[in-house]
Amino acid sequence: MNLLLGQILNGIATGMLYALMGLGLSLITGILNIPNFAHGALFAIGAYLLVTTVGLIGNFWLALLIAPLGVAALGLLIEYAGIRRLYAAGHDYQLLFTFGLALILSEGIIVVWGPVGFSHLPPPILRGGVDLGFTFYPKYRLFVMVVAGLLVLATWLFLEKTRYGAIMRAGIENKEMVSLLGIDIHRLFTAAFALGAYLAGIAGALTAPIRGINPNMGVDMLGIAFVVVALGGLGNLLGAIAAGLLIGVAQAVVAAYWTEASTAVIFAVMALVLLVRPQGMFGIR
Amino acid sequence: MKNPLVLLLGAIVLLPFVVRPVIAAEIWLFAIFGLGLNLLLGYTGLLSFGQATFFGSAAYVAGWLLKHYAINVFLALGIGTGVGALSALLVGYLCVQRSGLYFIMLTFALNQLFFFIAYQWTSVTGGEDGMPGVPRPAFLGIDFKDPMNYYVFVALLFLASLWVMRRVVESPFGKILQAIRENEVRATAVGYNAPRFKLAAFVIGGAFSGLAGVLYAMLFGIVPLEAIGFVASGNVVFATLIGGSGSLYGPVIGSFVFIWLSESMSVVWERWPLLLGVAFVIVVLFFRGGVVEAWSRFWRWQSSRQRA
Repeated sequence: MNLLLGQILNGIATGMLYALMGLGLSLITGILNIPNFAHGALFAIGAYLLVTTVGLIGNFWLALLIAPLGVAALGLLIEYAGIRRLYAAGHDYQLLFTFGLALILSEGIIVVWGPVGFSHLPPPILRGGVDLGFTFYPKYRLFVMVVAGLLVLATWLFLEKTRYGAIMRAGIENKEMVSLLGIDIHRLFTAAFALGAYLAGIAGALTAPIRGINPNMGVDMLGIAFVVVALGGLGNLLGAIAAGLLIGVAQAVVAAYWTEASTAVIFAVMALVLLVRPQGMFGIR
Repeated sequence: MKNPLVLLLGAIVLLPFVVRPVIAAEIWLFAIFGLGLNLLLGYTGLLSFGQATFFGSAAYVAGWLLKHYAINVFLALGIGTGVGALSALLVGYLCVQRSGLYFIMLTFALNQLFFFIAYQWTSVTGGEDGMPGVPRPAFLGIDFKDPMNYYVFVALLFLASLWVMRRVVESPFGKILQAIRENEVRATAVGYNAPRFKLAAFVIGGAFSGLAGVLYAMLFGIVPLEAIGFVASGNVVFATLIGGSGSLYGPVIGSFVFIWLSESMSVVWERWPLLLGVAFVIVVLFFRGGVVEAWSRFWRWQSSRQRA
């Protein structure tokens, strides 16, 4: 029973990271109306940048601040130099472009950092665990839970309570109308892509001390981010959190009893939910 | 360019003397794979990013039966085609209920489901090492271990597939698919059950992918994990798009270009997928419309110059 409770906690921690990924992807997909196959690669770049930055400056906290901003800058560049020219093209070409980017980034990781993954320790203050009564739990995972939760909350506050957030939500609903109201839609697209990239980057940076880093981490996460969006709905914040937690916990619980199936179960859960509710968990668009 | 079929037959005869028969055979089997995708992408307007699901499943099942039960070649092809169609029925059933970007993401996510099953089920699939030892049994005294014999076999199956696909897209059924692509709301209003037609297109496309998958397993004697991976799904989309998804012959030309491109790049550098990614980006930014359109643009330019 205690094992199960511990696994559920693990599932909540990874589920929050999945929610961050799905949230970023859902902003990009919803506002720009493109399939972003490079989202997983952005996640991986975030993790690698964190490890490199920690190696350079020796400060985890500063690195956690810098690495995701680096990914956001990369996102800015990608939107500005490439995706911007493809809004009029079909989804097929947009897909090919982002898929090409994903190949370049993930192969680039192998060229720069080598094909073998490595583990990365959390900062000294977050090593070890705390006694929660029913289980002894790693401090770093609790930290991830709190930080990811705060980030989701901050994104929610931004989208719901600020003027620019309102413009973003309007952009998901009706781009033409937003444009007609005199808002620079291209700047909105760039901002949305950079924000989505930032969320992917910080999810990657937070993941590095838990699972280590390896060149495949991006692709594995891409599929998961798609699942979160397919279940939660585009631009649906609550949906992303619910879907992220659902598959995170399902994965952790299955891992306790049948480790081999722990990744496949994510997609199996999605297939099951869609079998019952083809429109996703909340049935929005 | 007047008669593509004559050109095609010429290419089939000459190709094995220009490149190694193995590569030549890979071009035609990849073209079968592309024909299957193009029924979805070009004719129904469905961008499936999970075609490797059907290709790989068929390769694993038929390859396993060939290896352990020494079944007949045609039985293996039939079973593979069936597995391709069946897996496409399962995946398609979940996907056709959603449209647009959701549809694309679902095909990819379900591809990942099959991928991770193949990755973890090592006792059957060999996981990351792949499933080696797929034989190429002789049929009626014809030894398929001879690369040239096998090449002719694959080329004939390709021609048969092309003929079948042509019948499909020119049939009333094919016209309905194109009507759905052009305007789904109108096609529904006229009384066609769009999801059911999309599902049928999925199943036919899956059958073609399955056939290609078995031919692939027999060609290389192994089913690598990559056969069911998302990169294979992306490659067939790329090949079809560079050939031009608007025509029957588009994926054939695309497969030609793609296999040639990837074979020559893989010799140059171990990290050739990076070059492939660069090629994707360049094609999208500068050569949208593919080879077929670039060709016809060239001819239009030529004829306008002659008239002037």
